[in-house]
Amino acid sequence: MTINLNGIGIDYGVILPELIVTGTAIVVLFLDLVIPASRRRWLVAVSVAGLLGALVASIPLWGQNRAAFGDTVVADSLAAFFNVLLIVISILTVLISPRFLRALDLDFGEYYILLLGATAGMMLLAAATSLMTIFLGIELLSISLYVLSGFARTAPRSQESAMKYLLLGGFASGFLLYGMALIYGATGSTTLRGIAAFTTASGLGASSNVLLLLGIGFLSVGLAFKASAAPFHMWTPDVYEGAPTLVTTFMSVATKSAAFAAIGRVFIATFPSIASRWYFPLALIAIFSLFVGNLVAITQDNLKRMLAYSGIAHAGYILLGILPGTAEGFSATLFYIAAYAVMNFGAFAVVTALGAGGERTAELSYWRGLFYRRPFLATVMTIFMLSLAGIPPTVGFFAKLLVFRALVDAQIWAPLIVAVIMTIVSFYYYLRVIVVMVGAPDEAAVDKERVGISTGTVIGAAAAATIILGIFPAVVLNWATHAASVHF
Amino acid sequence: MGWYALPTAVPWLTLTIVIPLSGALLVALTPAVARRVVKQIGVLASVITLVLVLVIIGGFQQGVGNLHLQFEEARQWVPAVGISYHLGVDGLSLFLLGLNALLFLIAILVTSSAAPRLKQFILLLLILEAATAGILLSLDLILFYVFWEAMLVPLYFLIGVWGEGQRVYAAFKFLIYTVFGSFAMLVAILAVAAITFAQTGQLSFDWTVLVQHPASGVWHLPLNLGAIGIPQLLFLGFALAFAIKMPLFPLHTWLPAAYTASPIPVVIVLAGLVSKLGAYGFLRFNLSLFPDAAHSLGPALAVLATTGILYGAFMALVQTDLKRLVAYASMSHLGFIGLGIFAGNLLGIEGALVQMVNHGVIIAALFLIVGMIEQRTGTRDRAQLRGLGASAPLFAALFLVISLAALGLPGLNGFVGEFLIMLGAWTAFVPMAVAAGIGVILAAWYVLRFYQGSFQETPPQPAGFGEMRVADVGALAPLLALMIVIGVSPAFFPAAVEATVKALPVLLR
Repeated sequence: MTINLNGIGIDYGVILPELIVTGTAIVVLFLDLVIPASRRRWLVAVSVAGLLGALVASIPLWGQNRAAFGDTVVADSLAAFFNVLLIVISILTVLISPRFLRALDLDFGEYYILLLGATAGMMLLAAATSLMTIFLGIELLSISLYVLSGFARTAPRSQESAMKYLLLGGFASGFLLYGMALIYGATGSTTLRGIAAFTTASGLGASSNVLLLLGIGFLSVGLAFKASAAPFHMWTPDVYEGAPTLVTTFMSVATKSAAFAAIGRVFIATFPSIASRWYFPLALIAIFSLFVGNLVAITQDNLKRMLAYSGIAHAGYILLGILPGTAEGFSATLFYIAAYAVMNFGAFAVVTALGAGGERTAELSYWRGLFYRRPFLATVMTIFMLSLAGIPPTVGFFAKLLVFRALVDAQIWAPLIVAVIMTIVSFYYYLRVIVVMVGAPDEAAVDKERVGISTGTVIGAAAAATIILGIFPAVVLNWATHAASVHF
Repeated sequence: MGWYALPTAVPWLTLTIVIPLSGALLVALTPAVARRVVKQIGVLASVITLVLVLVIIGGFQQGVGNLHLQFEEARQWVPAVGISYHLGVDGLSLFLLGLNALLFLIAILVTSSAAPRLKQFILLLLILEAATAGILLSLDLILFYVFWEAMLVPLYFLIGVWGEGQRVYAAFKFLIYTVFGSFAMLVAILAVAAITFAQTGQLSFDWTVLVQHPASGVWHLPLNLGAIGIPQLLFLGFALAFAIKMPLFPLHTWLPAAYTASPIPVVIVLAGLVSKLGAYGFLRFNLSLFPDAAHSLGPALAVLATTGILYGAFMALVQTDLKRLVAYASMSHLGFIGLGIFAGNLLGIEGALVQMVNHGVIIAALFLIVGMIEQRTGTRDRAQLRGLGASAPLFAALFLVISLAALGLPGLNGFVGEFLIMLGAWTAFVPMAVAAGIGVILAAWYVLRFYQGSFQETPPQPAGFGEMRVADVGALAPLLALMIVIGVSPAFFPAAVEATVKALPVLLR
């Protein structure tokens, strides 16, 4: 039997960014074998160079609509939007890594390989237009992150975190695959385009096709798990808390972004014709995330856990943008994802910068009087907390405003009211961090380290971006609108 | 005042926001050890702002411009959502802008060069000045909201870090109250824009657009629980934010803690200016966007304002801590401003506008006096102070003038505003005017008791109270000058704002 590869559209230009990142990972893998431990800095340099190359390669994808490899991946503005976002997150993560890897005695080359692998998986997920490539992307990013969560080999909490993530993640993958199988069974196609064509053609029949609906349901469970939306969030606090903070920083923003790229492609692009069927469950997931995230975050005294629950709440806000199924709502979603990436990365990076000493630094009590001991970190943390709470002039304010406005325009009231009330609730736990930092200095807590130059620059840049995008949101909003327009 | 015409090419209003911010940037770049330089930059930036604002006031022409707005600047900001960068000044904001620039200059002047973390203190004060100027100038509701929230953060830190006593508790209480109120306002802003969008098909947060499309309609509660007018509902959303900031009884409970905990430069700004921004918000938004609701809900709010007058006055009577005494006096006087606003007639609103400037001047001066007394004696306890005037006659004389202005003596500024407010209130609701009159009498009681008790009784205690220094007089001089100028030319302010006030939608219905 011969396999005919003609006519399935081999076009390496479409996946060039992914190829570059994967190639960089392989180069780092071999480089790590040959260079002495004292020269590990080179790995950082190579990784950053590769990621920058992928960034450059992503830019020409903007404005295109090139499907390739049998319609399994696509090069369009949406993919380019997420490529740029994910690569920037990845670069920033690599830049703050060496210092803390050394501090935790984890300075191994594998870290960078896994990070690059996860990034490649996420990028693939954002470009995926077939159930196969979606699964491929999710598994690539998940397996890398399972290992990264347990990267602190000697810390039991890290091991526990990796184990939990692996078991629950495997379970979620099972759901995902089962859903995909059902969808394939119902529609006879694995490409999103083919599935969309089937559902549109069968009209009303599709919305009573049990096989298809079950499939969509299982698929949603798998994706909601990755986006850590409630009630599929159970792993999030434990994994975020146990994993090295550096990994949590990356995971909390990058995984969520990639998962929402896939959710957007599935719900907005593939199943708009049966929106009346998925609207209610999705709204329930959003509302449930808002409740669980915001209410449980109040009771957390550990900053990593608090930010984990805050991340669940933000998944709810982001989902709200999907609900209307409008271009406006989807662009609000994309803007929110970018905003969340900036501010949450910053917040976790501050925890990382403070956390080189050990786990205790994530306890809120350690932050008492931080404003007097570490004015820079306290100031930027204030900015990130205000932004996460949605208080202007920060980007978080516009993110919420745009989502709320999309809901108002679509006349979706109940989720909006929940979101508004829960936003007020969220003020309490975000502002509490600021209050604690202003409190009387705790003499017992002594810091060993100062913030390094690269860490300081990265955190400072995130803080500056949080404010600048809060004052001039129009540019990013235009990008988000353009990227969202791909599917309308 | 139309004394000259300013070139229109210059973005005058943006400059009043940008100059304090530039000062803040310069301060940020200055090393913290260069304390004198830091303070000088702060003084310089606020002096330039004050001069600029005076130039604007001089060039402001009565009754000219679209909706009486002048020096308008409108640029697109987030066009996709109908948000613009729209600034303008009219009779409502003109003199408050001047008060803003003046009070920040005084606040920075009286900040001790030896204060802890001076650099951050001046930096936050300058950012705060830019935010408050932005609040007064914004004509886009989202822009207004952004400045409104931006004001909160520096204030929180100024109270929480540099405060005294229960500073963290006071700052947190202030923060939670105001954030809660602001969010109610944000929801109302979104709803106003959505309703106008339904009417016009054009999404806009622009005040000049919204003011021409007053919201209407009725919201029927589920389960036949009755119906609420939508304008009334939106009115309350805005009112919550402004009533907390002002504060209006019974939302005042953050005030004693915050005012008492704040250092003197901060409390000058907080009591002298920020409270007025709440009153300004009522005029700019509640009375302009929802005139019908203002008429139907005005009496209820006037009752709250009058309650505040009496409550504040009685509380001031029983305080022994001078800072708390002035804090409650401030609350009582703010009640007058509220009463004038909610009277909803020309005299009341004009009086409120005049009294807003007066209150800022008087309360700032009173807090300065309290600060000077505490600095010299180390105490603010009324019971431990007696006969201070014996060794400081100039101090006593200046304090007497301020006290008389505070209790509303004719010939000084306090009288002008209070009298207009009383006239306005009398035509609207007589009982409340009578109650407010009792408030005036109580004011005379607590102010004179403060003055006489601490400056006239014998024997002097503690002895050898220090006389006013040049710097002290310099800080008080502009405030004293304003007290006398406004007092002897009572027609000036009402006339200057009359055109704007007469055009307020609440008076046209």
